[in-house]
Amino acid sequence: MTETVFFYCFAALAVAGAILTVTMRNAVHCAISLIASLGGVAGLYLMLHAEFLFAVQIVLYIGGIMVLFLFVIMLVNLEAAARERQFHRSWVGGLLCAGGTGAMLAWFWLRGAGTLRLPPAVQPTPREGGNVESLAMVLFRDYLVPFELASLLLLVAIVGGVMMAKKRI
Amino acid sequence: MPDLAQLLAAEVPLSWYLILSVILFVIGAAGFLIRRNIITVFMCIELMLNAVNLSFIAFSHKLKMVDGHIYSFFVMVVAAAEAAVGLAIILTVFKNRETLEIDEVSSLKL
Amino acid sequence: MPEGYLPIFIFLICAILFPLVLLAIFRYLRPSLPIPVKLEAYECGIRAASNARGRYTVRFYIVAILFVVFDVETIFLFPWAVRFRQLAWFGVAEVAVFLSILIVGYIWAYKKGALEWV
Repeated sequence: MTETVFFYCFAALAVAGAILTVTMRNAVHCAISLIASLGGVAGLYLMLHAEFLFAVQIVLYIGGIMVLFLFVIMLVNLEAAARERQFHRSWVGGLLCAGGTGAMLAWFWLRGAGTLRLPPAVQPTPREGGNVESLAMVLFRDYLVPFELASLLLLVAIVGGVMMAKKRI
Repeated sequence: MPDLAQLLAAEVPLSWYLILSVILFVIGAAGFLIRRNIITVFMCIELMLNAVNLSFIAFSHKLKMVDGHIYSFFVMVVAAAEAAVGLAIILTVFKNRETLEIDEVSSLKL
Repeated sequence: MPEGYLPIFIFLICAILFPLVLLAIFRYLRPSLPIPVKLEAYECGIRAASNARGRYTVRFYIVAILFVVFDVETIFLFPWAVRFRQLAWFGVAEVAVFLSILIVGYIWAYKKGALEWV
């Protein structure tokens, strides 16, 4: 009962934020709405026992990426950008495409909900500790190569970002 | 038509998370198609990534495995790298063209 | 749902609703007499020099990029820190490779002068 109520609260926050992100005219308002939406999804992560990702969502997405977005909005000329047209001329077509995709997915779900056969939940060997501890063992043992490659990706991000932005100085 | 007792079920079923994920994804896709401002289009991409992350974690919770968490984590890491480089490209485009409209940026060379 | 988080969730919902409800109530209670001086941004009594929405220098952005990248790096270290003993020297070696690749990027950015505030 309480779980359902909280699901509705967080889902409402996430969807309302997402809708405002798409409809607001001012880019700063869009970013703030997106932060609200990400916060709602973070609450859902906590309900799904994903404590580590909840923290990552707040620290990395809201505290890192969205701050980057706000910096860029501040760096470009806001007055000139706000005067430009914000919505595409054929926005009805875009909405129809997106709505069609949504209807298709909903139809699949309605028709195929009963046929979805998930493999039975494997009972992992009981590890002491919580989400972060079990995630650490999987990340540093089974996902060793992706972990090392992530550092390479971040290196490329540093080089690319600094090179692109440095040109302007 | 589900009755009130079903809507206030004791445990949230997996399908609700998947439907929420679809709704968020479709809103992001709609924004991607109808907005003209590059920065807002980029934000809609983040919205879609986030919707997919939610379904990963819902499945991971259902299957009692942490692999889904790791996929989502890597999606976030890639999103951070992508945002750093993508926003720098947007800055360069804005410097060269003095516009943020995606339709104005239609040729590769100035 | 983890039961222990119930108080936190309730606190979160209260924290979100409190300002919204208050703003909604006082919107109808307070008199609304806007004059230009009242609508100005409050800067301890000093007259505001310019709009906060002006353009900023790109150096802030370079610092922000480096912040985000090293933010990710720190988050990767957290799971390692909680399982430091079990992973033993294998984990130390993994993290050493990870950090050494990123430190190359840091040194490159330093040499490039990205961290200098000219």
